[in-house]
Amino acid sequence: MPWTEIVTAVLLAIGVLFSLTGSLGLLRFPDFYSRLHAAGKTDSLAQALILGGLLFVSPDWGVSVRLVIIAVLLLFTAPTATHAITKAARLDGLAPWTRLNPREESKEDAKP
Amino acid sequence: MSEVLLVDSVLLFLVTVCAVAIIEVRSLYAVAMLSSVYSLLMALVWTNMHSMDVAFTEAAVGGGISTILLIGTLVHTRRDEKPAKRRLHLPALLVTILTGAALIYGTFDMPRFGDPNATIHHYRVPEMMSQTVAAVSGREGKQQPPEGYEAPPRMTPTAAEWAGAIHAIDEAEDTLRAAQHGAPGLVDGEHHEGAAEEHHEGAHKHPVDDFNGHVPNSVTSLLAAYRGFDTMFETTVIFTAGMALIMLLRRRREEGEDDFSQRGATLSGQVILRVMTKMFIPFILVFGFYVITHGEIGPGGGFQGGVILATAFILYALLYGRNALYRIIRPRTLEVLAACGVLLYAGVGVACMLLGGNFLDYAALNAASPGDGEAMGMTLVEYGVGITVCTVMIIIFNQLAEEPSNPSRRRAGAKAS
Repeated sequence: MPWTEIVTAVLLAIGVLFSLTGSLGLLRFPDFYSRLHAAGKTDSLAQALILGGLLFVSPDWGVSVRLVIIAVLLLFTAPTATHAITKAARLDGLAPWTRLNPREESKEDAKP
Repeated sequence: MSEVLLVDSVLLFLVTVCAVAIIEVRSLYAVAMLSSVYSLLMALVWTNMHSMDVAFTEAAVGGGISTILLIGTLVHTRRDEKPAKRRLHLPALLVTILTGAALIYGTFDMPRFGDPNATIHHYRVPEMMSQTVAAVSGREGKQQPPEGYEAPPRMTPTAAEWAGAIHAIDEAEDTLRAAQHGAPGLVDGEHHEGAAEEHHEGAHKHPVDDFNGHVPNSVTSLLAAYRGFDTMFETTVIFTAGMALIMLLRRRREEGEDDFSQRGATLSGQVILRVMTKMFIPFILVFGFYVITHGEIGPGGGFQGGVILATAFILYALLYGRNALYRIIRPRTLEVLAACGVLLYAGVGVACMLLGGNFLDYAALNAASPGDGEAMGMTLVEYGVGITVCTVMIIIFNQLAEEPSNPSRRRAGAKAS
């Protein structure tokens, strides 16, 4: 196995692992904001790792350039989307979860 | 079990889960999101089948613009579905089961995926795939097939008796065309035989992508030339949909309706959103034009490109308000442009007729180099499709996102939500 494929495999594995932790956080965290935190943060990193891993096995320059462009685009747009959703929730008056005020979760769950 | 089958099974399972969820979930907002997920999953299924154009359309139209339009529709409806009475409706169940059984029975007659004996690989389509449209008319294409290219098999050995018949038809057509155009017909005998064995070996694999001929993307050449009428009327259907929506939803033109100087409620106070949007709108526009123009070479075309262009305008309208969009492009201009796209498509066809060809026979556009004529005709046609799709999508979004102007209706809407 050439070294490029090993690098790709390692990067893909780490990327998938981050993706998995993000999904787990999305399911397990107590309220809207922390769930979004888990999903947004890990996804930005996971996509960069996965696309970076694919970079090592891309057949030619055209594909490499496209992969880099996609990664940069996602690095810009994914946090913006997370920001927009969080801001919308904040402006809508959704209070963050705290230990003293854990009832927010049920309120959040009632929201569609 | 092959990897392709495994991935397909997982994806189709997720698609099924999504479909069931769409039926079951009561929140319409969640349904809009789920339908977007459904489309993206289907796009992955298409990608897995190597049908890039379909995947691209599914992602752009189903995953992108439809979601925006569905959410726009929520302005006019309730947020939640009315709870339905849960009772088993026996006739409906019977009809559903019978239809499903009939559909499944019908699939038994379909050729297996990638089957080289499928009818579509025998008749007509190989000609389109190897771009012998111009060659059959005795005219040279712009590009030659790449080195080592094996033409797809015209006939399978099992259908040998077909071979003679269709070969005869082809020769008759060649002679006829040659007589019409006064050029020697091209009879490519070796094109028809051979290459069958190699194809049988790769029978269970995906077909190789076909990048030869003067319009390298065979999907575009199929859509724009082989099914040119079909695509033209698809564009007309989109145009009609936009017009119908204007007639149904547009409120009466009021005093000062055409005054778009007021700012209205906007999101432009959101610094991050504003900066990112301003940064990305030029790229979205360039990408949209690239997809339309590049449709003849790679995956893409008028439908996808038009939708991508429309998202740039919709993004602008979302951030700065609809009046800001109308200051850039008037509603009247949008409507005229929507009509112009269809006119451009049909106009190319008429131009072909005036230049001595058939309707939408693009080769007639450039008598010196028919291959260039076809490429030019298809690009023009794609732009026609793109303009119509783009403007109609903006029109639909604007009509849907419009607040009900009538105060009583607005109150009713507020009560409902």
